[in-house]
Amino acid sequence: MAGRKRSFWIRRIVRTLVTAFGVSLVAFLILHLTPGDPAKIMLGPYASEAAYEAIRERYHLNEPLPLQYLYWISGVFRGDLGDSIRYNRPVLELIKDRIGPTLALMGSALFISITLGIFLGIVAAIKRNTPIDYFATFQAVFWLSIPPFWLGILFLYIFGLQLRWVPIGGMVGFTSLIFPALTIGLRDEAWFARPMRAEMLEVLNQDYIKAVKAKGLKYSSVIVKHALRNALIPMITMIALRLPWVIGGSVVVEVVFSWGGLGSFLVSSVLARDYPVVQAILLLIAMLVVVANLVADLLYSVIDPRIRKES
Amino acid sequence: MAKILEIRDLKLSFETEEGTVEALDGVYLDVEEGHFHGLIGETGCGKSITGLTVIGLLDNNARIERGEVLFRGKDLLKFTERQFQREIRGKEVAMVFQDPASSLDPVFSIKDQMLEAVRLNKKEEKQSNERIVKELLNKVKLPDVESLLEKYPHQLSGGMKQRVMIAMMLGRNPSMLIADEPTTALDVSIQAQFLRVLMDLKNTTNLTVLYITHNLAVLTEICDEVSVMYAGRIVETASIGDVFNNPSHPYTRKLVNSILRADSTLDSLEEIPGSVPRLINPPPGCRFHPRCEEAVDECSRVIPPVKEIGTNHLVACLRR
Repeated sequence: MAGRKRSFWIRRIVRTLVTAFGVSLVAFLILHLTPGDPAKIMLGPYASEAAYEAIRERYHLNEPLPLQYLYWISGVFRGDLGDSIRYNRPVLELIKDRIGPTLALMGSALFISITLGIFLGIVAAIKRNTPIDYFATFQAVFWLSIPPFWLGILFLYIFGLQLRWVPIGGMVGFTSLIFPALTIGLRDEAWFARPMRAEMLEVLNQDYIKAVKAKGLKYSSVIVKHALRNALIPMITMIALRLPWVIGGSVVVEVVFSWGGLGSFLVSSVLARDYPVVQAILLLIAMLVVVANLVADLLYSVIDPRIRKES
Repeated sequence: MAKILEIRDLKLSFETEEGTVEALDGVYLDVEEGHFHGLIGETGCGKSITGLTVIGLLDNNARIERGEVLFRGKDLLKFTERQFQREIRGKEVAMVFQDPASSLDPVFSIKDQMLEAVRLNKKEEKQSNERIVKELLNKVKLPDVESLLEKYPHQLSGGMKQRVMIAMMLGRNPSMLIADEPTTALDVSIQAQFLRVLMDLKNTTNLTVLYITHNLAVLTEICDEVSVMYAGRIVETASIGDVFNNPSHPYTRKLVNSILRADSTLDSLEEIPGSVPRLINPPPGCRFHPRCEEAVDECSRVIPPVKEIGTNHLVACLRR
């Protein structure tokens, strides 16, 4: 059994590595998928011939494509992600400066969406077909129907401009984190609350819930210990699959709130055709998603004994 | 002998999208303490509903219209959810369900689930609790208890799971166990093993069992009395001997004659014409009259009262 278990993990990790390779290839090829000379794309049409040649030299653009990839990827492993064309500084340094705010934003957004979504899902299931349940449905549809950039602007207008409770954009302490996090978090909360309700209803209908009640267990223990634990198992996948949207959302929301993180940096770098930066951020985001999926699988096997013992 | 459970004129309905289902309509049922009482009937006749009423686990759309469910003299219909949880479930009345595959929580080990029940008894000490769990599992004749404790439900066979369920429910030392078709999902050979465990409990404890089934043959092995249920009413209650040797209600007769015996041929087997009526618009009068060969005009108008036709032999039929 242990052997089978190990081989499962070896296969799972190999699959992750293959995905990671594919992802790095896409990030690398971005520059080359755009028609025209990469050097001209990066520097624009008005640079000197010497500058173009320097760029070609710096990024080995005169070499065959596979070799260029090897240069690039070995650089990635050495922590050399190239230099930003805009800032003329190593990309890694620029990313280091901005990754903190982005992780803070994404972390708070995920925290809001997971806790609120799961809580509302449970409450809606327990109080099904009551006003509480209808309210949970209503608010979910409400948040899902509003595009994040519009919600962000609305928040800024009401709470920043009119009520002046929070700064209008930028990163000035904790208060400026609240609304960007809510903008992403509320939408994803809606995304989690519906399936959580469905999972809870399904679990609450199971015989084992009746059986633990028949033992004489308190209702709160029945819900928290037995129903919740079973209903959460499929939610792990839901959350892991949702991560790319959280990241995508944070890109838009960072721009709206002038949040100095990787998202807004990515947008400005795309506009400035700062390809080394774009490549690096894409690679980072993609790796984050790949790793999150691996972690979700790991968590699965911790929570669900059926997977732990058999697969 | 004291009666542990007395159900009086219980009427209960369910609100569904298709209409009101009159699931139970005037159920009378007495269960003697320490006896094994069988409750038999076709699928959908209200057997499980009766059991779930006693333990207070009916679905939210159930509406009790009238009647009494007296457990040791106390009317359970007046109990709140909290009273059921604190005073009845597990402690006084436990229940085993039909499908052992889904009756145990898949994410907890057998040990955790057993301990959860035993801990509710307020006996402290972890070690003594574990000892109690092991004794319980031995009691239901489960082999290799030590390794069983660490296992999860999916690693057990159906028969083992059902015995774990019994052990778990006995963990709180209830006076009464409701067994809702506990062997229906098991292979015949495993059924016998399971019934032996119950027989053993019958001989060694004072446990009362309400055994719900649609299989009359199973009841002959273990039950003292049998109540026959048809479309939400009890039509006959008698000792197991009387049910077989002296069945009175036409439905009971049909039921007894439809049992396969070693010497029966297909021709000698009786079948009951028609099917169980839908309980959204049940037949008026005696609910069995559309399928009854002895029915007279009156049967479609008058609800037959319960009559005592012998010692502890009750029947609800106008023709008796």
